Amino acid sequence: MIDNVIFGDNQFFGINHMSEEKARNLSEKFSDLKAITDIIEIAYDSGIKSFMINSNERARDICDYLRANSSRYPDLCLYPSMPYAHKYANMVAEKGIFATLKETILADFSMGNIIGMITKGGGSLFEKDMIKVMQLLVDIEMKIYRDLTVKVVFLQNIVSDLLLGFGLKDFFIAFDSYIRKKYHAEAGFVTMNMPKMVEFLIDCGIENPIVCSSVNKAGFLMNPDINSYEATLKDKKFRPVAMSILASGAVPPEEAVKYVCQHNSIRSVVFGASSRQHIIETKNLIERYCQF
Amino acid sequence: MLRAGFIGFGRMGITHYSILNSHPSVDVIAVCDQSTTMLSILKKYVNVMTFTDYREMIEKSSLDFVIISTPPDSHAQIVQFALENNLHVFVEKPFTLSVAEGQNILSDFKFRSLIHQVGYVNRFNEVFIEVKKLVDEGVIGDVSNCYSEMYGATVVKDSKSGWRGHRKTGGGCLYDFASHCIDLAVYLLGQPEKVAGSVMQSIYSSGSEDLVSSTLIYENGCTVEIMTNWSDESFRKPTNILTVFGTKGKIVADKHAYKIFLKEADPEHKLDKGWNTAYLPDLAQSVRLYVRGNEFTRQLDYFVGRIRNETIGNIAGFDEAFKTDIVMEQIALDASYNHSFPDNDLRSRLFLRKSSEKPSAFGKK
Repeated sequence: MIDNVIFGDNQFFGINHMSEEKARNLSEKFSDLKAITDIIEIAYDSGIKSFMINSNERARDICDYLRANSSRYPDLCLYPSMPYAHKYANMVAEKGIFATLKETILADFSMGNIIGMITKGGGSLFEKDMIKVMQLLVDIEMKIYRDLTVKVVFLQNIVSDLLLGFGLKDFFIAFDSYIRKKYHAEAGFVTMNMPKMVEFLIDCGIENPIVCSSVNKAGFLMNPDINSYEATLKDKKFRPVAMSILASGAVPPEEAVKYVCQHNSIRSVVFGASSRQHIIETKNLIERYCQF
Repeated sequence: MLRAGFIGFGRMGITHYSILNSHPSVDVIAVCDQSTTMLSILKKYVNVMTFTDYREMIEKSSLDFVIISTPPDSHAQIVQFALENNLHVFVEKPFTLSVAEGQNILSDFKFRSLIHQVGYVNRFNEVFIEVKKLVDEGVIGDVSNCYSEMYGATVVKDSKSGWRGHRKTGGGCLYDFASHCIDLAVYLLGQPEKVAGSVMQSIYSSGSEDLVSSTLIYENGCTVEIMTNWSDESFRKPTNILTVFGTKGKIVADKHAYKIFLKEADPEHKLDKGWNTAYLPDLAQSVRLYVRGNEFTRQLDYFVGRIRNETIGNIAGFDEAFKTDIVMEQIALDASYNHSFPDNDLRSRLFLRKSSEKPSAFGKK
């Protein structure tokens, strides 16, 4: 069962889809880990137990903090989102895709037969089995969250939407089953193309898939259009997780929550906030309007 | 259905593939790349023909168009070959690495009858489109000067491997970040008359520059300050900032928002006296498939639409991109006069690049 209210982390990392200037200001505000953990503390104490954490550079510090303070957060559970593509972007630009993959894997797996699989004949592992490569990368990212309770592991939209365009069913199926088997959690998919993604995942045979996408009155980051989103929410069997409900501030909070909650199939909302007041206000609104 | 071929399958090639593979009017038939690892993965997971030689791919695949995302030093040669074979061409920026190469292509009569586009993706960003409209409609009056800036943390150490670290193969901040800044200036104001005060500095890279600054000067005296630095670690991702000053006010824009300051209210455009702000959610238009940003889809759908005679105009054609090539060559020359770039044979390489010189990649046969 996915939690109804999930606390998002974009604001901590200087991500704001509305304004690059605001994003930079947020990044300055949260450059100190204490500023982030203070907000996590406030959110937890307000009753939010679920946190979506992107696997970026700061995630390691945040998870170290959560492990060290596990008694402070007994009911905490995480919804990791991976991979954080910007982490790899510069290395890919510098060295190319395969060198990046190889170095990332080698840096992490210094022992065992992995090393032989990768070094033998250059790209032999890549040519042989990209699914295995995906599993190794998932394992590397999942180390960040070790010993913490994980409910759903999300594939980030940069990767999931790219692979959606490729139509690579095998990868989606393999990701889904690997997360279940190895991590005893469920796989989720973040997307900017929810209607297409839902149809595709159902085609893949993934039953009742978990799909996290923007759902807002402004139609912002909802492709191809808001009508297709509304129709999919009404007609398709999947577990929608709504994000960007405020459309980065374009929709006032009460209106935003009312809009999301009029869709009965939505049982989970992700939101991020950077002050006590906004956390409490938004959480109260969701609880007032949504009949979970 | 239009038959598409891809030449170059790195980061941009992969993005373009994802976008076009899902286009209802396009069949992706073939991919050409130098990486046999990449090709064998494609063979295994995707139904597409693969080649290591673009000539062979073009000759064997009866294509309608090609998407070229190879290192820039090979653009001219591949574009020329594609045009000779009557193919519509989308090529990543920059168009070519020298004015001479660009001129050769533009003087080919075939280019007039085929659809051509260069990947200057900012021209398909909603905010920059709106800024252009406001400037063209005279909302800020006559433009007196601009800042066109781009910053990012793309290069934070000396990279000797790969084409991006070397000017000769089309790497360096000039062809990458600065080309976007210059293109925005050309998009807004057209071709500048000359450049001055150009500086190209290395911060980390030994084979190319990491910082470019220059002043573009227009015939009417208007100036555009170009300032780019791809070794600025304070930026999470590459960021363009455009500031346009006019007689009636000014506009400050990035990809996600713009602010406009007016000395007097403009009721026709519903703008108040003083500061007005517009954010992307107010301007954004959805696309059929969003991959990495909707402007990437918009630019390719525009290209396909033009081939299918569904859209008109020529937003980022070769002739437009060529203007930026001219400015880049002017800046490199100006910078070399200013002794600002530690590469002594820069000028000779720029202007004496022989047509017989083989590009680093994609020249196999």
